[in-house]
Amino acid sequence: MSIETTQVEDATRGRWATVQPWLSTLVRLSMAVILVAAAIPKMLDIPQSVRAVRAYRLLPEEVVPLVGTMLPFLELVLALFLFAGLFTRLAAIAWLVMMAAFVFGVAWAWAKGLSIDCGCFGGGGDVAEGTTNYPLHMLERAGFVALGTFLVIWPRSRLSVDGWMRAA
Amino acid sequence: MAAKKNEPMNARSAAKAQAQAQVRAQERRTTVIIVAASVVGLALFGALIFFIINQGKVPELGTDGAVAPASADATGGVSVGTGGVAGVDVPTDAPRVDIYLDFMCPICNTFEQINAADLDTLRESGAIQLYYHPISILDRYSQGTEFSTRAAGAAGVVADKAPEAFHDFVNAMFANQPAENTSGLSDADISQIAVTAGVPEDVAGSLDSADMRKWATAATDRASQDGMQGTPTVRVSASGVFDEGEVLDPNTVPYFEAGGLKAYLESLG
Repeated sequence: MSIETTQVEDATRGRWATVQPWLSTLVRLSMAVILVAAAIPKMLDIPQSVRAVRAYRLLPEEVVPLVGTMLPFLELVLALFLFAGLFTRLAAIAWLVMMAAFVFGVAWAWAKGLSIDCGCFGGGGDVAEGTTNYPLHMLERAGFVALGTFLVIWPRSRLSVDGWMRAA
Repeated sequence: MAAKKNEPMNARSAAKAQAQAQVRAQERRTTVIIVAASVVGLALFGALIFFIINQGKVPELGTDGAVAPASADATGGVSVGTGGVAGVDVPTDAPRVDIYLDFMCPICNTFEQINAADLDTLRESGAIQLYYHPISILDRYSQGTEFSTRAAGAAGVVADKAPEAFHDFVNAMFANQPAENTSGLSDADISQIAVTAGVPEDVAGSLDSADMRKWATAATDRASQDGMQGTPTVRVSASGVFDEGEVLDPNTVPYFEAGGLKAYLESLG
């Protein structure tokens, strides 16, 4: 009995060891694509990005334009790291920090009853009353946090600069 | 015997090979860190330069060198007086109503259709100070032609050079509103609409003023600082002082229902 269990466990562990690096690759590439999708519309309309940041009514006016302008750049840089698989765990942590900030922002807006679009994928800022879909946004955020958490726990992935650096 | 002699040598070369591999790995690591740090540094530096250039491109409302229509105030609002002329005969002691609109926005058109007649009645009787803020938040819906900015800039030129036609021009722009996700109206189309609305030919020919488009952009930024909630936004100050005004919540004041806004504004007076 106990021997059989061990064998099954070994087999499972063996399969996981094969699958996990590929899964991590898939996760980090999805995260890179999500970031690029979020950054491009902001990049194309920076004033809109600034207004979207302002609409949360969370940051002082002095820093709002800077944050709104820098955000898409930061997203692209992070996307680059995830795409290359470079310092993957660190990048995943940066992703989670960013998500924490966004979740806080959306929760804040929700709690204050602000009628805004999250501006996650460009656009954003205030929207017409009743068109804000907070629960859906939160669900989406939860998925993004799950992706980031997976990568923090299993940062080793195929086709990564990290792997190339470590190789003999 | 021979095998025994070779063993230490093998171990030694293996250790040597491992050490070399470690050195190579370390070198790769150093290279990657240098490249990564340079990329991050350049990106942040580039973003900062970009930010500074952007900041300088559009002068803030009311700063030196900023162009604005003569009939507009520091909030980017163009007042329309009791006689329908922009900036002339505006009552000073009446509640102030600020309407923020984007010429591309279909709900603004609906808002105008529902409330234009009521607002005109109140304005003509001197019961309210009426300010229109032509702003630009929907440039992304005109296939890159930036119709919202062009239209708001044109309204700025009309407010400046043909104040008597401003009110009719705004109405005409909504009557001829293009659909979202089209290229919008061309500059020539806008000029034509202006002429029909009573703007003199020579003014109608200069509606594409780059400076007035900057004014529209600056006014939009100012509007978002003043609590503009997408378009349309209605901001009302019962005392008539802009800073004491508040953005109306359509759930509290049903301004998408006929007479809703008028009833509320009359209750202030």
